[in-house]
Amino acid sequence: MQREVGSLPLAPALRARLVAAGFQTAQELLETGPCGLSKEIGISKEEALEALQVVRQACHGEAARTAGASGATRKCTALELLEEEQAQGFIITFCSALDNILGGGVQLTKITEICGAPGVGKTQLCMQLAVDVQIPECFGGVAGEAVFIDTEGSFMVDRVVDIATACVQHCQLIAEAHQEEDHLKALETFSLESILSHIYYFRCRDYIELLAQVYLLPDFLSEHSKVRLVVVDGIAFPFRHDFEDLSLRTRLLNGLAQQLIIIANDHKSAVVLTNQMTTRIGQSQSTLVPALGESWGHAATVRLIFHWDNSQRLATLYKSPSQKESTIPYHITSHGFRDVQPPAVTQNAEDTEMNPRKRPRREEET
Amino acid sequence: AAWVASPQLRGRAVAFAARVGEDPGQDGARSPLPAPPQVSSLLPAPRCSGPGLARAMVVLRAGLCPGLTEEMIQLLRANGIRTDLASNFLSLMLFAVVDFVSSDLEDVAQKCSLSYKALVAVRRVLLAQFSAFPANGADLYEELKSSTAILPTGSPSLDQLLDSGLYTGEVTELMGAPGSGKTQVSGTEEGRGQVCLSIAASVSLGLKQHVVFLDSTGGFTASRLYQMLRSRAEDEEELASSPGAVQWSQRCSWGGGKCGGNKGPWLHGMLEALQRVQVVRVFDIYEVLSALQELRDRLSQQVMSSMGPLKIVVIDSVSAVIYPLLGGKQSEGLAIMMQLARELKTLAREFSLAVVVTNQVTRDSSTGPLKPALGRSWSFVPSTRVLLESKEATWEKATTQRVASLAKSPRQPTGIQVELDTGNGDVQEPSPVTPTQGL
Repeated sequence: MQREVGSLPLAPALRARLVAAGFQTAQELLETGPCGLSKEIGISKEEALEALQVVRQACHGEAARTAGASGATRKCTALELLEEEQAQGFIITFCSALDNILGGGVQLTKITEICGAPGVGKTQLCMQLAVDVQIPECFGGVAGEAVFIDTEGSFMVDRVVDIATACVQHCQLIAEAHQEEDHLKALETFSLESILSHIYYFRCRDYIELLAQVYLLPDFLSEHSKVRLVVVDGIAFPFRHDFEDLSLRTRLLNGLAQQLIIIANDHKSAVVLTNQMTTRIGQSQSTLVPALGESWGHAATVRLIFHWDNSQRLATLYKSPSQKESTIPYHITSHGFRDVQPPAVTQNAEDTEMNPRKRPRREEET
Repeated sequence: AAWVASPQLRGRAVAFAARVGEDPGQDGARSPLPAPPQVSSLLPAPRCSGPGLARAMVVLRAGLCPGLTEEMIQLLRANGIRTDLASNFLSLMLFAVVDFVSSDLEDVAQKCSLSYKALVAVRRVLLAQFSAFPANGADLYEELKSSTAILPTGSPSLDQLLDSGLYTGEVTELMGAPGSGKTQVSGTEEGRGQVCLSIAASVSLGLKQHVVFLDSTGGFTASRLYQMLRSRAEDEEELASSPGAVQWSQRCSWGGGKCGGNKGPWLHGMLEALQRVQVVRVFDIYEVLSALQELRDRLSQQVMSSMGPLKIVVIDSVSAVIYPLLGGKQSEGLAIMMQLARELKTLAREFSLAVVVTNQVTRDSSTGPLKPALGRSWSFVPSTRVLLESKEATWEKATTQRVASLAKSPRQPTGIQVELDTGNGDVQEPSPVTPTQGL
């Protein structure tokens, strides 16, 4: 296993010293041992020991992979991935049109970005998703918990109470209509209190707190392994004010994006980010574009843009690896994020995304 | 004699040098053995003095070459063999090949009471092992002819741009750009990813070769690859029954590898094609480097148990893992980037692979011109660069028209543009039946 010293995750100063002393491969480092190493480079024995630990981990990580251990590796064939993807659930949004264009709902293990002008409903959708992720599996949900990282302070608990109450009612109606045992059993644990207690809320006031929170999130998630949704409401806000060094901002944002992808992948959870819009002034006209620049556009796998058309709210799927670009209208009611109801049809449409094969005969009010 | 710089021939050169060194024809330790003309004429000029030399050192170890035993090394060290060149270093417990090779062997033999012949033999072998050999142009051409392959990308217009396809032994870069004119957002993010998937699909299904796909953005969607494979297979073979008759029950089709009899033979071909694409998720530059290292180890040991003939490695995307390190006052980012570049190029060259990397396009300021990301240093790494753009697409309209233009090529004139045909394997309409059915 001839790992080059330059490719090991060591501190740059240490690496420079190692290369200057003539070490080329990890093998040589391991053979020299901590005492020899500390004498050669002029570092303390503890530092040498630490460095060798890192080297050993990197090399043995490889050895474990070549031996076929599957735990930490992320290697598989496309066929296995396909099976995994199809077995994965989606987080529904209660708006069947939006679920359709997303291919079933918000996907797990991917980053979804929602961009929109202020007031168009991004935070509403985030709160709806934080409730929807907890829907039990027998009703078509993923039965997970949610982490909500708030940077703008727009999280309103009373609104979440409204949304959660409506969701619980919805499930109760379905359970009554079908009278299946697992439905009723699930309903015992699915109540307003349990929903609220499973939303973990973090408030970050500036970008340093946000970065720290995201980098500390893996530890939190390993303790709370049922989390299936991480929402960062307002990723643009801390990075747009008083940031003089734009290259630093790009670096930090890219590092953040990679960390979020790792979280989404390792913990099989969906990551939802909301972004603001900014104006790009062109030659003859100005247009609204998502904030944070071009390079940020590459971070998210799925991108939704919410915008207004007179007084109708529209959602456009702008970027997706497997779905076509399309636009649908949606509605925000007192119960949360919903479809736009065509005026003549009754309100049965809302139940279909829960259990598409069976239509409850009961009507419900909006 | 012409020496070709390939590992096999070099091994033979080393063995030859060792044999010549043991020629018992000479007596006495004083007169130096005539070195075979090839080796001495290839003696590299003294590399440099001072700090530059430090980086050219390789530690002298037992087993580095035959004849260099542990006792010999201990003796050399114990006598504190140094030269002027080595005096720049803080402490010299270790001993470098360069020191040994450039020192006066008579002196060394005297001080350490080692046989002069043995020292000369060791030096010869070390030189052979660590020097670079020049290659004859004709031999190089022959080698290239026998080892280079051209892989079609699955899109005839892109093949035309690339001079009939992806060349093995080279690094090709695909850059995804935001559209010109009214577009604000990179609509061809998916375009770049889609082209990578279509390349993987074409190589796996059409050529029946293995593909290694390093995914660093989490954007690899197996269902989309499946869609592409399916439409490609449907184009190639005519289905006996209508597509609607083939029931795709998502869970039990491939669960245990069983499938019903009414599914066409193209299903098996597709399953195999999916199995030939190996996806490695690497989200960190060190993970990318260790994944490449592991790939190289596997290929050099020629353990082909699960890996068939590998001809192409796709990395999507390289800028995502390097961007967090670049910029600012730290030069570490550039060093790591160049390390990655070196890995990719040696991988491509040594194992005759086509390496495809993807990059993004940025602007300096909000109104500045577009330029490829990762800067000028990276621009020397790929030999071919293709820019993918999406013309006249805004997020209000649904039309996308993808155009690929050649930004750098060793074979074609730059600036030529083609329109990418997206007819093959286009995204399907969202199914109105159930939300879970995305295929």
